[in-house]
Amino acid sequence: MKLRGLWQLAWSEFKLNLRNPAMVFWSIAFPALWMSLFGAIASEPIPGFEYEGLNLANFLLPGGIGLVIVASAFIGTPINLTTYREAGVLKRLRVTPLRTSTLAFGFTLSQFIFMVLGILVLFIIGKIFFNVQVLGSWAALIGMIVFGMITFLALGSAIGSVVGSWRTAAVVTQIFFIPMLFLSDLFMPISMFPDWLQPICKALPLTPLNIFLRDIVYGVPLEGLWQLGIMAGWLVLGSIVTLRFFRWE
Amino acid sequence: MKTAVECKHLTKSYGALIAVNDVSFSVEEKEILGLVGPNGAGKTTLIEMIEGLRTPDSGLIKALGLDPTKQGDELKEKIGVLLQTTSIQPDIKVKEALRLFASFYQHAPSNTEELLHTLSLEDKADSRFKKLSGGLKQRVAIALALVNDPEILFLDEMTTGLDPQARRNMWDLVETIRKQGKTIFLTTHYMEEAEKLCDRVGIIDYGKIIALDTPRNLVANLGAESKVVFNVEDKEIDAEKFEAIKAVSRVEKGEDGFILYTRDENVTLQELVRLADKQKFRLSNLRTESPSLDDVFLTLTGREMRE
Repeated sequence: MKLRGLWQLAWSEFKLNLRNPAMVFWSIAFPALWMSLFGAIASEPIPGFEYEGLNLANFLLPGGIGLVIVASAFIGTPINLTTYREAGVLKRLRVTPLRTSTLAFGFTLSQFIFMVLGILVLFIIGKIFFNVQVLGSWAALIGMIVFGMITFLALGSAIGSVVGSWRTAAVVTQIFFIPMLFLSDLFMPISMFPDWLQPICKALPLTPLNIFLRDIVYGVPLEGLWQLGIMAGWLVLGSIVTLRFFRWE
Repeated sequence: MKTAVECKHLTKSYGALIAVNDVSFSVEEKEILGLVGPNGAGKTTLIEMIEGLRTPDSGLIKALGLDPTKQGDELKEKIGVLLQTTSIQPDIKVKEALRLFASFYQHAPSNTEELLHTLSLEDKADSRFKKLSGGLKQRVAIALALVNDPEILFLDEMTTGLDPQARRNMWDLVETIRKQGKTIFLTTHYMEEAEKLCDRVGIIDYGKIIALDTPRNLVANLGAESKVVFNVEDKEIDAEKFEAIKAVSRVEKGEDGFILYTRDENVTLQELVRLADKQKFRLSNLRTESPSLDDVFLTLTGREMRE
């Protein structure tokens, strides 16, 4: 069987991510805390709010999902990849019969499981304490989440492939990660930014993900679906860069 | 005896540097063959070509009848490898690592508990890899190399960076593995290690194997003489006095005292003691030095092998 070792590798990497405090904080604790703290300020539906019946936590839920995906793909993937390359873990795996495709698939799967855990935590806390709800289609929501995960994992592995050391990876990640959080319609609307900055904001991969996750959760008809093309473009770019620059040692 | 690994005219360059230069040799089944040489001599490049990690520029490799570049997947099922810079996932527990690596193989018979026992790692089963000492990390690395019950074990610089006690423990471990009838191909830059562990030793320098034989034959073929070294107390003795002693070919007087080069250290020692008795002088710091693999290296390359 060609996929021998896949589940063991994915599960083991998932457990290792759980032992990494930075991963647990940024992709599980931080999104949940962010939603809960602000959600606790106004747990009743906001009167006169354009999305009727939604409270603040529910309003923040889609952004939380985006945060989970970006944090785990942008912190976990590049740092794991560079650490493993530097320490010779990738080389060691290469002298076992584990196939390259199984290795790549296993690492990806482990990040998937981790993101799913982060999103589940958001939903569970949201349901128990804030009675959050999804007004749009669950199928669309799941589809959008999976598309987002794949896109950001491709970008994360691209960074991990290009960058040499984990120290550089940590810096590069922060350069992309932190501004993107502010420019992607997550904490503040893009319309607040000056005109020259807005096209840049719209070209970022997190912006369409954020907008569509929100529209689905709020039950608003989806418009401007062409923006999915922006994500697809980043996905293709990330994949090409990964395939071109990936190194074992 | 069957051949486990055969290499013919292997060459590998990195730019202008010829790392391995037209090397041919074979490893017989169930023997321990060691390659000794200074850093940068080409040991790791050579061993990694056989493991299938690097592709030779030219030449032929057959390991267990398989070509590592074309039948690498098949070969990897049957070999165990300890890489020079060993690491696994830093936060993984020893037990988990063994299970994970075992899952990569079609045939991984040794159960985890048994392997932990063989390598005396039972009480470290739940420790994270990064928390282990250097010696224990190497032990785990050997355990991982054994999960598939390999036919050939490759050990690249297994004791580099270990303290003397940990090094001795590794030697004992290799002896234990040898008793299980495995073929072992190792590299080291410690002559002592090669002399102690290997059935045959290849000396490698600047990408070439310049000698390959049993340690005993390597030393014997050198035709080198033993040395009798000592100081003389209380008295000035002429070096010429010692030249008359049986079997002595040459006498040197250095800062350390006298050095007698001899073809037969027993005879020379007896005569020397008798002479001291007769002439009433005292011998101090008396010792003999037999030629070792270090001398073989020195003679063949004209350099001392430095660590």
